[in-house]
Amino acid sequence: MSMHTLLQYKWSMMTPEFIVLITALILSLADLWMPNDKNRRPLAWIAVVGVVIALIATAGLIPAKPVSILYDTFRIDSFSKAFKLLVLAGGALCLLLALDYRPKEGLSHRGEFYYLLLCALLGAMIMASSGDLITLFVGLELLSVSSYILAGIRKTSAQSNESALKYVISGGIATAITLFGMSYIFGLTGTTNLKEMAFEVQKLADSNYQYLLALAFLLLLVGLSFKISSVPFHMWAPDVYQGAPTPVTAFLSVVSKTAGFVILLRLFITIFAAAPAHGKDPSSLLLSMQNYIAVLAGLTMIIGNTVALRQRSMKRLFAYSSIAHAGYLLVGFAAMSWVMIDSIWFYLLAYVLMNVGAFAIIQRLSDEADSDDMIHFAGLYQRNPLLAVSMGIFLLSLAGIPGTAGFIGKLNIFLGALMTEPGHYMLAAVMIATTVVSYVYYFGVFVQIFFRPADEAASVKLPVGLTVTVVLCAFGTLLFGIFPSLAYQVLAQFEHFGDFLQ
Amino acid sequence: MGNVYANSYLIVFVFLCIGVLLPVGALTLGKLLRPHVPSEAKQTTYESGNNPFHDSRVQFQVRYYMFALLFVIFDVETVFLYPWAVAYNKLGLFALIEMLIFVLMLVLGLIYAWKKKVLQWM
Amino acid sequence: MSSVSLSVYLVLALILFCIGLYGALTKRNTVIVLICIELMLNAVNINLVAFAKYGAHPGITGQIFALFTITVAAAEAAVGLAALMALYRNRKTVHIDEIDSLKH
Repeated sequence: MSMHTLLQYKWSMMTPEFIVLITALILSLADLWMPNDKNRRPLAWIAVVGVVIALIATAGLIPAKPVSILYDTFRIDSFSKAFKLLVLAGGALCLLLALDYRPKEGLSHRGEFYYLLLCALLGAMIMASSGDLITLFVGLELLSVSSYILAGIRKTSAQSNESALKYVISGGIATAITLFGMSYIFGLTGTTNLKEMAFEVQKLADSNYQYLLALAFLLLLVGLSFKISSVPFHMWAPDVYQGAPTPVTAFLSVVSKTAGFVILLRLFITIFAAAPAHGKDPSSLLLSMQNYIAVLAGLTMIIGNTVALRQRSMKRLFAYSSIAHAGYLLVGFAAMSWVMIDSIWFYLLAYVLMNVGAFAIIQRLSDEADSDDMIHFAGLYQRNPLLAVSMGIFLLSLAGIPGTAGFIGKLNIFLGALMTEPGHYMLAAVMIATTVVSYVYYFGVFVQIFFRPADEAASVKLPVGLTVTVVLCAFGTLLFGIFPSLAYQVLAQFEHFGDFLQ
Repeated sequence: MGNVYANSYLIVFVFLCIGVLLPVGALTLGKLLRPHVPSEAKQTTYESGNNPFHDSRVQFQVRYYMFALLFVIFDVETVFLYPWAVAYNKLGLFALIEMLIFVLMLVLGLIYAWKKKVLQWM
Repeated sequence: MSSVSLSVYLVLALILFCIGLYGALTKRNTVIVLICIELMLNAVNINLVAFAKYGAHPGITGQIFALFTITVAAAEAAVGLAALMALYRNRKTVHIDEIDSLKH
């Protein structure tokens, strides 16, 4: 490669990544040379500003034609742009949470906290727009390794340490399984470029190859289910969510999950949708594997929603709820209707808003008590009515009550499951049933907030970062719940992600 | 050609069998021949005539791990330097600059560790 | 002179992977678990390099991929050990079944 070819690339397409990278570098250097006793909180504002600028830059790239640079390893298509918007929005909101994170024993590594979040975000962005297995893998690991450290950033808290260790171990196993699957696909196609893979994979009609390809598919599905915390790799979520600092929990449940779906969709649609299937009926390997994904989606919804019923810890409750939401999202994937990516995108948008908002309030109440038991929510309505109403909105949205973004998201996925030929009635039924079950625990929290007497009378004051988050999230949840067409207009610019495979 | 290879594998296999059988055979034979009269004094750990006084496992200072961790990271980064060095003549100046940027990143990491006082033996 | 065929390497990698997975899921000592994860990642490397050398489409990409895997595995192991060290300072144990403070 010479200087000339290097300058030919459209580097402007990578602007958002560069902005996040440079912000992270500036923060790390600033943190290194700042005196030890200086407060690190202003650094968080720099990080938030950097991410918001990156968000604007991404939005500015929307009209651009799909291109791929650096020998097709980095591609900007509507899929990557759409999901990068989500990831960046989620990242900015989590940074606002991190700004006002005040654990009981203080946070001695506040500087690291912020730029590790940025590094994780960068990993998620690279995943969203990579066109090559190697970059996909490096992005995935940048996200994972940063999150491992983030989960254990409270160095002196045994719970945080434990959460980090459990996350590393289950993450390591999942990475190894994913990679093992990747190595088989690489072996069958002889390339790591996704586009060439899709081309090569069409030639593999021999049943031996089919067998290996199906094995690779299952390995990838199992390995990637870790990132989206769905069955069979969901057991880490409650422990890690509970022990990790709350902003990190929010990050894991929102940004990490979005990134997980990004890699899932990117890999499976590009490679396995093109692969021929052995049987006579289905037209591609992906379609022939549809039943397995549907079973996993069903199990994820059932396990997440039923185990959540007996949780007292708010973060554990939200961990199981997040498993359940991964199940709903998998329904969208398993149905494989033509609105699949659109409905998943909208659901993730709603999920980012309602979940980060809820975590902001959980963070406020659990930091104060140094415990995240549900009891601290008792009588929130008397202590701060506005906060209680916002939490109510988030809970209603998570439960999927009409008028909220969560409802529209669920409706889209539900309709997607029914509109295919043949319709996935069973899956839709499971979805309805488990949603009804989920009402029980969401309304349990609801009852605590509005109908239980408060332990202490002191009103709850919200620091500025959390206020901004809660207001933005509550506003967004209602806005997209009442006027979903606003989000559809954004989606319309992506034209159903038609340039996905070009 | 294939035959030659198969033959050499055969030799390896024979040696492998001898290597496994010899110690196993010798120890089993010894067990059959020697008298078996255990007593308290015989079963104590033998430490060059001294009385063993604590656990034979020694815990290493946790600081060694810090150096080990740093070493692992920097050691593995050289993995990228080898292919570059092998193909150096073909790649030319541009790759040299790229590699310098890469090494600069590593140096940044080292400075980070230094400033965080990881390199000091406190 | 490929007297050893591709499938032998693949079987080796598969066995190594299964040993690693078994160990990672059953062992008590966290250090052993981390080593087992390395075993699984090395199985991946064998696969990649074997495919790159003897596969249907020989090329250099697989070896490059293996290099990246090695580096990332090292980073992961370093973070894992660091997390273990932090935990050991607080809890004085490396046994997985004793690390159970996070339960409902």
